Amino acid sequence: MLLEAQELNYYYQDGEQLRYILKDTSVAFEKGKFYAVLGQSGSGKTTLLSLLSALDSPHSGKVLFNEQDIKKIGYEKYRRNNVGIIFQSYNLIPELTAMENVLVPMSITENEIPDDQKTVVYNLLDYIGIAKDKADRYVNKLSGGEQQRVAIARALATNVELILADEPTGNLDEDMEQEIVDIFKRLAHEHEKCVVVVTHSKEIAMQADQAFHLKKGVLSTYE
Amino acid sequence: MNFIKRGFLGITRKKGKSLILLAVIFILGNLISGAVSIQQSTDNVESTIKEKLGSSATVELDYEAIDELSEAELMDLEIQDVDIDLIKQIGGLSYVKYYDYSMPTYLGSENIESYQDEEMGEEVITHGPSMDFMLKGINYAPVLDFKEEKGKLVDGRVFTEEEIDEGDSVTIISKKLAEKNNLHVGDTFTLDSAVYDFDENGEEDLIGSRDVVLEIIGIFEPSSIKEDQDENPENGMMDMMDSEYQNTMYVPNEVVIAEENYQMEQLMQADEAFAAMLEEEEVTFENYTPIFVLNNPEDSEAFEEEVAPLLPELYTVVSATDQYDSISGPIDSMSKLAKYVLIASVIATVLITGLVVLLFLRDRKHELGIYLSLGEKRARVVGQILIEVMVIAFIGLTISLFSGKILAEQVSDTMMKADDHEPSFEDMMFVGEMQTNMTTDDVIDSYEVNLNASYIIGFYVISLLTILISTAIPLVYIVRLNPKKILM
Repeated sequence: MLLEAQELNYYYQDGEQLRYILKDTSVAFEKGKFYAVLGQSGSGKTTLLSLLSALDSPHSGKVLFNEQDIKKIGYEKYRRNNVGIIFQSYNLIPELTAMENVLVPMSITENEIPDDQKTVVYNLLDYIGIAKDKADRYVNKLSGGEQQRVAIARALATNVELILADEPTGNLDEDMEQEIVDIFKRLAHEHEKCVVVVTHSKEIAMQADQAFHLKKGVLSTYE
Repeated sequence: MNFIKRGFLGITRKKGKSLILLAVIFILGNLISGAVSIQQSTDNVESTIKEKLGSSATVELDYEAIDELSEAELMDLEIQDVDIDLIKQIGGLSYVKYYDYSMPTYLGSENIESYQDEEMGEEVITHGPSMDFMLKGINYAPVLDFKEEKGKLVDGRVFTEEEIDEGDSVTIISKKLAEKNNLHVGDTFTLDSAVYDFDENGEEDLIGSRDVVLEIIGIFEPSSIKEDQDENPENGMMDMMDSEYQNTMYVPNEVVIAEENYQMEQLMQADEAFAAMLEEEEVTFENYTPIFVLNNPEDSEAFEEEVAPLLPELYTVVSATDQYDSISGPIDSMSKLAKYVLIASVIATVLITGLVVLLFLRDRKHELGIYLSLGEKRARVVGQILIEVMVIAFIGLTISLFSGKILAEQVSDTMMKADDHEPSFEDMMFVGEMQTNMTTDDVIDSYEVNLNASYIIGFYVISLLTILISTAIPLVYIVRLNPKKILM
């Protein structure tokens, strides 16, 4: 398994009571597959993704990456070298061009990156569907779909095996949603990436190789 | 796109914010620059003036200490003289470059005329018998006044050791006195060593007289005691100082002592009661004023500390540099003001720049969160912000380095004009042998705001350190940032 969550518990204190967001949640993900975690708002799916991406730490349980506890790897280092994260609101830096946004993680990671970084970035953006003329534009001059493509390119820039996406199509129309899902499927099936998407869209869940349902902090297989 | 490049891009891509920060730092930088500049300049004035004042010191009665004595103590007071052995002992200290001890006497003459300043005209009214010429006895053959550039030899030569030791009747006189009496090197002239007694009505009575024949071996010229003085009525005192120096004749100490002894002998012969009193009290007629020229003006304090224990009771060491305090008024007040402005501007810079940086950081929370979510080390995110602020600060401070200098010049000019006044007698320094015509105006004239290396280094160190501190405080904000809360 590439990524494994073991008995994750995450809660918050409400007066004297503990309110569980995730309760004894265990799940495993492997390379070359496209996963979907389906759930309503407030079901805990974003919390699950934040724990899997090491943006937060569980109160108990652990996350293993290649059978190694990510806490031992170091959360910062894990984010830097092992995972690409895609957010619903893209989270690009508006003062930089699309190309520069993708260059940023390449300067942060310790993974091996080809010397000619700009060419790699242009090719990557082209593969995702951003032509060179758009790659040199500031990201706030691009459409929502284009910005999300840039965010996907950024997640792929450090050549990681694991892509975690939080409602990546939440701000996009249906046509664009399908284009993004197609990219994820391609990444999983053609490039052996492990793509985990948390979403409230049943359409996406239906297209996933495997889907889970998260309800009141309890994860189950989605049929 | 490492954090350094991101820092520079942050400056160029966020022009508005960069310009605001630049403006804030420029304004505050002017205050720091102006204050540092004034401080440096006042420090320079102190060293320049002290250098001009020279490094001479003398030993004299501590009149302040005497004033503090009670009447009973004054009645019992027996003041010891500073004897030649003590002067020689002090002169042998390592701080002393050379030294002299001199004794003056005043004589008149029917053979030559004294020099009178034309500008003084009839204002000088003298009473009693004419004693126009000051014989300044010296022991230092090359003449200490010439070494210290109070005067310079323009013709002839200085004394030889033999002439000094044997008390030969040789002299060095001023050029103006020589010209007035058509005297040249090698000529001789006669002074009258006249002794007068005064009766109850104040009438003078000549009780003895003898000729003092002196041979001119050299002619000197004073080093412009009156130079650059304007038409100030108070300059009369300087005219008098000039006239007195023009009528001064350098002679070996023994010549003076011989005349003093002669005069006392005549007085004792004329007045038996006076003679009895002098014999009873064993009065000596040798009363020297020592002058020590130090190797360095900065040695003054150490010299004073070392000499003080050697001195008889109620004597003190007075250095030329001590006089700086009495004429440094406008510079002192400016230096104090600059110090307060510097402290205030550093505090203001820390607070204002810190607040501006904090506001900008809050505005960039999202961007910083993205870097952290990508696994960037917090230290590098901090480094990026530091680069942005410090580069802008360096530009702003460099501009304010020049404008602050102009500001400092304007402020100093205004302050000094407000404190300016004509040189007066009170401003001048009179300490026996160390008298100088240096005034508060000389101190002000020495003040100059310069862009020198110490100012530039001092300014950059203080201001960049201040900006660094003001940036470091809000950077705690980055350390506490939680990317999940910002981005999800």
